[in-house]
Amino acid sequence: MRLTLTNRNTQPRLRAAFSLGVAVLLVAGLIASQWLLGDAAQQMQFDARLAPPSVDHWLGTDALGRELWARTLAGLALSFWVGCLAALLSTLIALSLATLATLSARLDALVSLLIDTLLSVPHLILLMLIAFALGGGTQAVIIAVAVTHWPSLARVLRAELLQLRQAPYVRISRALGKSRWFVLHGHLLPHLLPHCLVGALLLFPHAILHEAALTFLGFGLSPSQPAIGVLLADAMRYLSGGYWWLGVFPGLGLLLMVLGFERLSSRLRSAL
Amino acid sequence: MPGFPRPILLGIALSCLALGCLVATSAVQAKEQLVLAIGGEPEQGFDPLLGWGQYGNPLFQSTLLSRGRDLTPQPELATQWSLSEDRLTWTLTLRGDARFADGTPLTAADVAYTFNAAAKAGGRADLSALDHAQAVGEYTVTLHLRAPRITFVDQLMTLGIVPSAERDNGYSEQYGRQPLGSGPYQLVEWQEGEQLIVERNPYFYGPTPAFERLVFRFTGEDATLSAAHAGQVDIASVPPALAANVPAQMQRVIMESVDNRGILFPMQPANGEHAESGAPIGNDVTADLAIRQAINLAVDRETLVEVALHGFGRPAFGPADDLPWSDPKENVVAPDLTHAAEILESAGWELRDDGLRYKGDLPARFRLTYPASDTTRQLLAEVSAEMVRPLGIEMQPTGRHWDEIQREALHQDAIMFGYGSHSPQEIYYLFHSQHAGYGFYNSGFYANPEVNAHLDAAQAADSPEQANQYWQAAQWDGTTGYGLRGDSSWAWLVNLEHVYFADSCLDVGELGVAPHGHGWPITANLLEWRWTCEE
Repeated sequence: MRLTLTNRNTQPRLRAAFSLGVAVLLVAGLIASQWLLGDAAQQMQFDARLAPPSVDHWLGTDALGRELWARTLAGLALSFWVGCLAALLSTLIALSLATLATLSARLDALVSLLIDTLLSVPHLILLMLIAFALGGGTQAVIIAVAVTHWPSLARVLRAELLQLRQAPYVRISRALGKSRWFVLHGHLLPHLLPHCLVGALLLFPHAILHEAALTFLGFGLSPSQPAIGVLLADAMRYLSGGYWWLGVFPGLGLLLMVLGFERLSSRLRSAL
Repeated sequence: MPGFPRPILLGIALSCLALGCLVATSAVQAKEQLVLAIGGEPEQGFDPLLGWGQYGNPLFQSTLLSRGRDLTPQPELATQWSLSEDRLTWTLTLRGDARFADGTPLTAADVAYTFNAAAKAGGRADLSALDHAQAVGEYTVTLHLRAPRITFVDQLMTLGIVPSAERDNGYSEQYGRQPLGSGPYQLVEWQEGEQLIVERNPYFYGPTPAFERLVFRFTGEDATLSAAHAGQVDIASVPPALAANVPAQMQRVIMESVDNRGILFPMQPANGEHAESGAPIGNDVTADLAIRQAINLAVDRETLVEVALHGFGRPAFGPADDLPWSDPKENVVAPDLTHAAEILESAGWELRDDGLRYKGDLPARFRLTYPASDTTRQLLAEVSAEMVRPLGIEMQPTGRHWDEIQREALHQDAIMFGYGSHSPQEIYYLFHSQHAGYGFYNSGFYANPEVNAHLDAAQAADSPEQANQYWQAAQWDGTTGYGLRGDSSWAWLVNLEHVYFADSCLDVGELGVAPHGHGWPITANLLEWRWTCEE
């Protein structure tokens, strides 16, 4: 009986550790590939334009003879960094606002209103508006994704904080005269960090998908950057000509990365 | 043989007949309507006073003269015309049967109103030389100029005549959205950003167009191409790079053009100045002549035609190649990276370990901006950037929306522009310092007093032949000029062929030579278009 219980407890952690290991390896590979490849994603071969996948051109080439495998890797790396920064920024916003909400009932009402308002507006429209207003580009995409993705996590963190605030050890600490900052820093935040980590990981695939969507729609990264959204938008123009590889491989890469991080965050959530 | 009773058979026969009639009727209707996806929705509407029809054939309106295949003036609304000996007064006699689409006659008062109003409107029609226009009879009008202007005749061939504001249904601020003219078609509905529907003008004085109704779809490149492959449009404009796979039911139609693409360089250093629009002016790198000369020497124009245009074009060395006002000696025989590197070295641009050239602390790096929605310009920007990279010059291709280009990039980035006109007036706009910062034309703030003098002399010339000598001298007079051998103010790259997918049943007649015009130039011979299939 004890053995069964132990298995149930350790299995999710093992799975999470495995997923984490795989994710770390993939990310390390992605980063290393950019360092090793240099500007391979931009190198043009005018005599091998729109070449289909073959031994010479593993995933085929685009209209300027650039290797699609190099461009897909570069696009995934770009998406990874954009997703990372956007998810991190979003988590910071969520944490800050959730903390602010615990300071007074009025602030709590204000933060709740903000969360409800943002959740009621369709993501993509808000994303497009913000990205357009900021003039597009990497920075605009990161800000747009970060500003629109924090409400769900903020709601969870706020609820957790409100619950923690009533915990006996927190009440004792405050009764002993400890400052709000001490309570927050010493008692509340350590409890919130795992939530933040899982929250950020859950945000990450969303951030990547939305970055690709924004870029695909022309509101995101410049068409000259090998972002996945750019590759997919380019592929659309050539699909009718039968150049299927231009869309299939970048799309598959994006799908695998998003699924991978989705799975990792689910397993981490189960483990924690 | 046991069979259907007679009444049932008769019923079936009659139903088939009715169905047949219905199908036949709809087939006839299909031939009456043509769906075009040729791009180019005018933002300011269809108002000639604000620039509509600047490249000729404004569809809803008629012009005083039309341009023949040899670019010479031909009768249109005006049946006779003359220029006084002092070259200051044009006198034109109008045809008597021209009517607006509401049935009212077009008279000299409308022509005089149009020219006077266009001069005040400050649109793209260059009427700065016009003092005033005057109706001297019901069908005779005089146009009085302040000074002789050789290119004024082009306004007679491009400015569509609108009804005078003083008459019923006359010109108003809403005209661009509800145009009334004497052209072959009249507007039925314009859903901005989506489509324009026009129908025959029953009062048109010319031959009856073959198609009762035209539907212009304003779709992006992707949607246009998809619609062509799905058989949803009868004629579609396609970027040359995507023109290889012709849809099954369509044919590829090529229209020769003087439409070109090239890189406009900001000519002033960045001194912190801003244009009236607030856009910053100047770029320290492109303001250096050596950089501009080196880029002009490094780009391989033949390869650009092959890669970016899939062969649908030819190399460009100036804004008006092969036209009489362009110097035929202006060209670069082959890309010469060695000579380009020497020019950079002698100008103090040193190649460093990071592969980039520096002049002091200034890296040879600048943005090459292009409209993000334009595949051809994107390809040209990316390939030409790759071509100059070995020199140690980093052109950063940057796709932006036109609004953003105007707001930020127009005067400080190198811009992948397109021009090309049947009139040398465009040369005047592009290179005269008087037009520095004027719209998109001389957005690089190019200014050379010698070039200005040649351009002014051309405008004041006695004849087109004499003017052409001055236009050519502005390009290179042996000492200076705006062209490759002079200031290298642009790196002209390619002259395009306009590529369309047209339904196999559509005969577009003999196409002329198109100017730059975002798809509309193909409608120049619309009256010759015919449907050749019987359905």
